[in-house]
Amino acid sequence: MKPLTFAARSLRREFFHAELAMLALALVLAVAALTAVATLASRVEHALLASAAELIGGDLSINASRALPPNLIDEANTRGLRTSRLADFPSVVFAGEASRLVDVRASDDTFPLRGVLAVRDANGAEREVHAPPSGSVYVEPAVLDALALKIGGKIQVGGRDLVVAGEITRSPDSGSLFRLAPRVMMSLTDAQTIGLLAAGSRVRNRLLVAGPEDAVAEFASAIKPKLPDAAEIVTIADAQQNLSGAFERGGNFMRLAALLAALLSGIAIALAAQRFARRKREEVALLRCLGASRGEILQALLLELVLLALPACLLGVAAGLGLQQIVFTIAGDLLPGTRPDIPWQPSLAAFAIGVAVLFGFALPPLLRLREVEPMRVFRRDDAHRAGRFDALYLLPVAVAAALIAIGAGDTQLALTLGLGFTGVAALSLVLGLVLLRIVRGGGRLLPGALRFGLANLARRRALTLLQAGALALSLTAFAVLAVIGPSLLASWRAELPSDAPNYFLINLQDDQRVAMQERLAALGATNLNMLPLAVGKLVAINGKTPKPEDYSDRRAANWINGETRLSWSGELPVSNKLLQGRWFDADARGDAGPQVSVDKMWVDMFHLKLGDTLTLRVGEREVVATITSIRGVRWDSFRVNFFLMLDARTGADLAHSTVASFHLPRAVSLAALSRDFANVSLIDLNQLLDRVREIIGRVSSAVISVLGFSLAAGLLVLLAALAATADERRFESALLRTLGAHSGQLSAAVLGEFAALGLVAGGIAALGSAAIGYTLALRVFRFDGYVPPFASLLLVVFTAAALVALAGWLATRRIARTPPIAVLRQG
Amino acid sequence: MIRADKVSKSVDGPDGRLTILDGVSFSLARGDSLAIVGASGSGKTTLLGLLAGLDRPTSGEIALAGERLDVLDEEARARLRRRRVGFVFQNFHLLPALNAEENVMLPLELEGGADARARAGDALARVGLAARKHHYPAQLSGGEQQRVALARAFVHAPEILFADEPTGNLDRGTGTAISDLLFALNREHGTTLVLVTHDTALAERCARRLVLSGGRIVDEVTT
Repeated sequence: MKPLTFAARSLRREFFHAELAMLALALVLAVAALTAVATLASRVEHALLASAAELIGGDLSINASRALPPNLIDEANTRGLRTSRLADFPSVVFAGEASRLVDVRASDDTFPLRGVLAVRDANGAEREVHAPPSGSVYVEPAVLDALALKIGGKIQVGGRDLVVAGEITRSPDSGSLFRLAPRVMMSLTDAQTIGLLAAGSRVRNRLLVAGPEDAVAEFASAIKPKLPDAAEIVTIADAQQNLSGAFERGGNFMRLAALLAALLSGIAIALAAQRFARRKREEVALLRCLGASRGEILQALLLELVLLALPACLLGVAAGLGLQQIVFTIAGDLLPGTRPDIPWQPSLAAFAIGVAVLFGFALPPLLRLREVEPMRVFRRDDAHRAGRFDALYLLPVAVAAALIAIGAGDTQLALTLGLGFTGVAALSLVLGLVLLRIVRGGGRLLPGALRFGLANLARRRALTLLQAGALALSLTAFAVLAVIGPSLLASWRAELPSDAPNYFLINLQDDQRVAMQERLAALGATNLNMLPLAVGKLVAINGKTPKPEDYSDRRAANWINGETRLSWSGELPVSNKLLQGRWFDADARGDAGPQVSVDKMWVDMFHLKLGDTLTLRVGEREVVATITSIRGVRWDSFRVNFFLMLDARTGADLAHSTVASFHLPRAVSLAALSRDFANVSLIDLNQLLDRVREIIGRVSSAVISVLGFSLAAGLLVLLAALAATADERRFESALLRTLGAHSGQLSAAVLGEFAALGLVAGGIAALGSAAIGYTLALRVFRFDGYVPPFASLLLVVFTAAALVALAGWLATRRIARTPPIAVLRQG
Repeated sequence: MIRADKVSKSVDGPDGRLTILDGVSFSLARGDSLAIVGASGSGKTTLLGLLAGLDRPTSGEIALAGERLDVLDEEARARLRRRRVGFVFQNFHLLPALNAEENVMLPLELEGGADARARAGDALARVGLAARKHHYPAQLSGGEQQRVALARAFVHAPEILFADEPTGNLDRGTGTAISDLLFALNREHGTTLVLVTHDTALAERCARRLVLSGGRIVDEVTT
């Protein structure tokens, strides 16, 4: 026997049998969903890095409070990298009598190396530019408002008049929230000539570097030991937290959909393979009888699978790449800069996973064909060994677990899905047994045909439990995709309501608070949230000076070397959640001393716990505060939030200003407010909000297109399950017809059986998907107050269960029209 | 060619151990024909399966073409069947996914023969189905299906042919035509024939008849 030839011929002949076609289709869907999502994730990650590069204006930034050694530029240039030098410092600028504190950025004419600096000129035309030529500046609109200036007017910087050549409309790092003042851009040469960069001034020097990824990374590691003290390297991976958070959630949604598609495909493959194996039993018995060895038969069967898998996986990869291209085009303009190439690794991985899913789910029934005895050609011996434990059936469980572990990309997502589906399987086993007991006990009271249908369930005990499990799992996955997914997406959109804060103001003084509140109320501002802001430094943790090298999280260095912002409040701020300990009780503090509430990220980063002490220096004062609570802060809520919050009594004595967030309709001008509160910096978040909303919208569309694939996989599972069960009933229905049963009796039997199965599976799916949805919302997507849509769940699940019964009934009706002898003769 | 010595077969049933064959002994020379007859449940088909090496006896010895079947493992018995044995079944056992020609090619392909298609074509022509070689089993009548099965049984010129109720599923006329064909092919190939049947007329065409009852040989007739 030549197994390959035999396999190829069998496949050619059998491909149009429902089982193999379904197997192939399930595989195409699984591989397509996995390819699309993994490829998208990789491209979006690259695009995000590119977009983060735009944020800092280059691929790498070296920041220092002193002048950077010139040999760094030489080092970069010899590696073929481009460079740009910047100096950022605060200064007060004048126009006539008016003055304004601004954030000056002086740069050479290569800035920005990445991203766009765009200005509007006096004629209203917008153009992309580099740093302004000597003698001129570009300014942000707030500067024009504060100084009542127009483009073309002059401002005085460091005693020298410079022409305002344009209004900045777009610049790298425009989303930085803690820039204290609006920006003025000038030429680095002018700044040096005027003497603004003299020693002792508060200048932050930067060297930006851009070039090929590898060269930049090599440069970074080469210069690290040569850097002066207090100089730091900022890589693009650090940037753009708001936006990457949105993409991360989108990624989780898509991974969820792709995983469910793959798992559903696995179930469809398992069911189709079971049917395929059953049909093959006669053939295997004959081949064994004619002298084929077990090995040859197994080899031929496996080769048949391989021959089926290769083109199906290739087709899946092609479909997945097509889908991701469509989604990337939809979402593409969210990601400025270069379009990352299509990476080949995700396709290869999806291909491999597809093959693993096929073999993992299809092998057990096929391997069991080894046990077919050649004597079967003389007598059908269907006494199967359902009671025997078969380790082979752990294979699909292991493949599913591995798939979840690898594909989830997030421990919580993996755990939620893994435990959720295990729970559904266990519950379906328990409820299935209860159903069987009820059927056995109470079935006798039912009318004849219905009793026969339910007796079928009790008779095929193992099969009934298997079918109830498969149906419950697929209906759960289906409900998670069709109901839970969209409701989670809706929760995501609702997180940024139309009245989300769209302005921040900084540097408000205590004596201005009431006046500001009144002005904002008069302008129609809502959602006003004011908190005190003190700037301090972390001096010690539990009495010991922290060192950056003691912490694996390299962000720790930022807080150890730099400043820390603090606030205090009697109430737990909105968008904060208490995770451990108690919020400050104003009356109960007594002599307990200063207390501090710490954000979870800080707790993890500095390995803190309740009862630890933090020593903070604010101005001349040093505060030793005990950690009494740990908070989870939603940093993407667009509200003012702090890593550290002191108790109000301790905070009140510290030097501070006030920071506020509020929502104001866009049409309202803040020019007058800006002029009247000249010391206050207003930060317009509208652009950033728009961008995040746009991302959520587009990512939602992308998720829905992947959901479509998963739903198709779900449908396939239902079809496979029905085809398998219809097969089982063909012979019985034909026999009943032969004995004179009319179609009404046949229908009642089938409907009773399927409705009971559907009801149990549907109920479990409703519970299971609600639990999975709730856990996903809480642990994976971190949505507060998510309530699964029970009404829709019940509706969808029971409609699906009714459809199961209907489809079963239709299948039997078809049999009812076939002469019974045709079915009986086939056996 | 075939030798059975005190062959017994027992299985475990719901009411304890059940003896299907009990100390069956006989031998058959090359080219001989033997009919095994008896009532339903007398152990005919079990004996056929044991003689063909499809199952192992609980005790006793069986030799086929000089090789002891009861000591060979399943793979070795399969190799033996592939080379030396042909089968005809009551319900034909044609593979529904293969057409008539491909069904006949099966034993040759299992052997790895080179000109399988041409030889299958010849075998089909011999049973009068040259024109229907591209038909699938579902497109053939019962008699035609059994003729395809006969072509398949003889295509690799086996030394022994086992037939289980070869006319059991056919009407009298077709049954007679099939048994004529079976014996004609048997003569042409000089094959040793063992068949199980309820059909007295068919049994009487064999040189020897074994009558089984309750798993024992109760009569043996040679004509």
